Amino acid sequence: MPEPLLAILKLCALALLYLFFLRVIRAVWAEVAPARAGAAPAPVPKPKAARRTSSRRGKGGDALVVVEPKEQKGQRYALEDEVTMGRAAGCTVTLDDSYASQLHARVFRRDDGLHVEDLGSTNGTYVNGKKVTAPLPINRGDRVKVGATVFEVQA
Amino acid sequence: MTSWVRRNTELGLIVLGAVITAGLYVLASIGRTASLPANIIPFLLIVLALLAAGHLAMRRLAPGADGVLLPIAGLLNGIGYVMIARLDQRLAGLQATWTLIGVAAFIGTLIVVRRVRDLERYRYTFMLLGVGLLLLPLLPGIGRNINGARIWVSLGPLNFQPGEFAKIALAIFFASYLVEKREVLGIAARRVGPLALPEIRHFGPVLLAWAASLLVMVAEKDLGSSLLFFALFITLLWVATERASYLAVGLVMFSAGAVIAWRVFAHVQERVDIWLHPFADPSGSGYQVVQATFALAWGGIAGTGLGLGNPGRIPAAATDFIFAAIGEELGLLGSAAIVVAFLLMVGAGLRIALRADSPFETLLATGLTTILGVQAFIIMGGVIRLVPLTGITLPFVSYGGSSLVANYILLALLLRISAGDAAAAPAPGADDETTFGTLRR
Repeated sequence: MPEPLLAILKLCALALLYLFFLRVIRAVWAEVAPARAGAAPAPVPKPKAARRTSSRRGKGGDALVVVEPKEQKGQRYALEDEVTMGRAAGCTVTLDDSYASQLHARVFRRDDGLHVEDLGSTNGTYVNGKKVTAPLPINRGDRVKVGATVFEVQA
Repeated sequence: MTSWVRRNTELGLIVLGAVITAGLYVLASIGRTASLPANIIPFLLIVLALLAAGHLAMRRLAPGADGVLLPIAGLLNGIGYVMIARLDQRLAGLQATWTLIGVAAFIGTLIVVRRVRDLERYRYTFMLLGVGLLLLPLLPGIGRNINGARIWVSLGPLNFQPGEFAKIALAIFFASYLVEKREVLGIAARRVGPLALPEIRHFGPVLLAWAASLLVMVAEKDLGSSLLFFALFITLLWVATERASYLAVGLVMFSAGAVIAWRVFAHVQERVDIWLHPFADPSGSGYQVVQATFALAWGGIAGTGLGLGNPGRIPAAATDFIFAAIGEELGLLGSAAIVVAFLLMVGAGLRIALRADSPFETLLATGLTTILGVQAFIIMGGVIRLVPLTGITLPFVSYGGSSLVANYILLALLLRISAGDAAAAPAPGADDETTFGTLRR
């Protein structure tokens, strides 16, 4: 076989090799940033959580409102006496967030107001950018970050 | 849903990887003998069958697991096999057998280890196993000296390197031990300058395991592995405690150890001399490194073409120096592809660590990824003279049964961690109770 032909075939093989990597990167990218228009539809909040939201909203209590990611922006979760957040189906607020732990954090009400506590999560819980190490009081306007999801405490 | 997407991604990548492997195999055959390989159809079928077996096992046993690691490992394995077949037909037959055993071990590990956190309970068993495997080659009678390193064990017709398996056992031990002790290790009991150090006694068992593995490595003259264990140990300590001071201490310990080893051991001095002045004795001690440098130079950007180079003149071209052989025949583009493959594997491994549900799984995933990445770095860096050469295999690519089987086991553990407890988790209804039970505690 003539050598130029072999050289071309070799370059084709190398091109395929890099195509392979491109596809790997695309597959990873699709998981890391699923939030593109036309990509996977934005995750629908669990009906259970939604129901609770509507039933409690009338009481005029505080709520956690999603700020990030964009496609869930505005999603409200009413703050009951205790709200747990995490990937597990049993949490009050179930997150479809790969950076959140199964049982990530909880927000609870004591006599003196709302508090947030990290439940031994892998990536930590943050209030206004500061890591939560012990139960921490939170007020309206504070931003709570769980995994890659950011909530704001609103009335 | 996600798991379904992941498995289909995996299938697509596996098919592409098998096509690339078969294409390279054909090219190597044409280049070498100017004819198509007679066995190309069975070859392609075997490659596909092996990868498909791994893939089907994943569908059944770990459907939620990461979808890119297995195809990348398979591709590396395939490229390595093509190079080995091009270099030495006899070794290629053996490597094919080892790949078969490796895939079987991969599936076996997925079957046996249903939940990675169960391994945490056997930490001292793993410690004993790891240290025992490391010590095995030193036993008279079964230990063998090959190429100046005493890392082989011969049992009847079977030769293997127990150190390859020891690294996995020790990673499990380090991870489980550090998870338990990370809090006390993170507390600053005393300060030495800017560094906060915990109490010495908390270090005991880990330091012991580390010193033992290091001592064995010095006795076995296997520098690459001792570097690997040290990097593993320091990385896990750092990740577990989140204290960068351990990295600094580790670096100081490493530097001191390196200088002492360089002063005391003649074989270390020789390695450093070859690294700095390979052309001082190009046909003697520097021969291997010099030939590797020539091979890479011959390869240039796109390589000489598979089967058209002369990588056979590098000693150990199919094992430690396979990276140079790839660099010669596939050039910078081909060798960079190997580097990219390892980068992607390390990236996927660290992502698995970030997403893991328990601290033990996070640490273990970090440890296993560290093993893979550091090992690839040590040998690729050694071949291109970035660091002194220390003989160690390039994971999945080099010829070597123990290495291949051990790396497939490592891969299975990593994938098992990424599958999370999705398979083992109770139904959502039952989950409520366990979740809130944990909460009240």
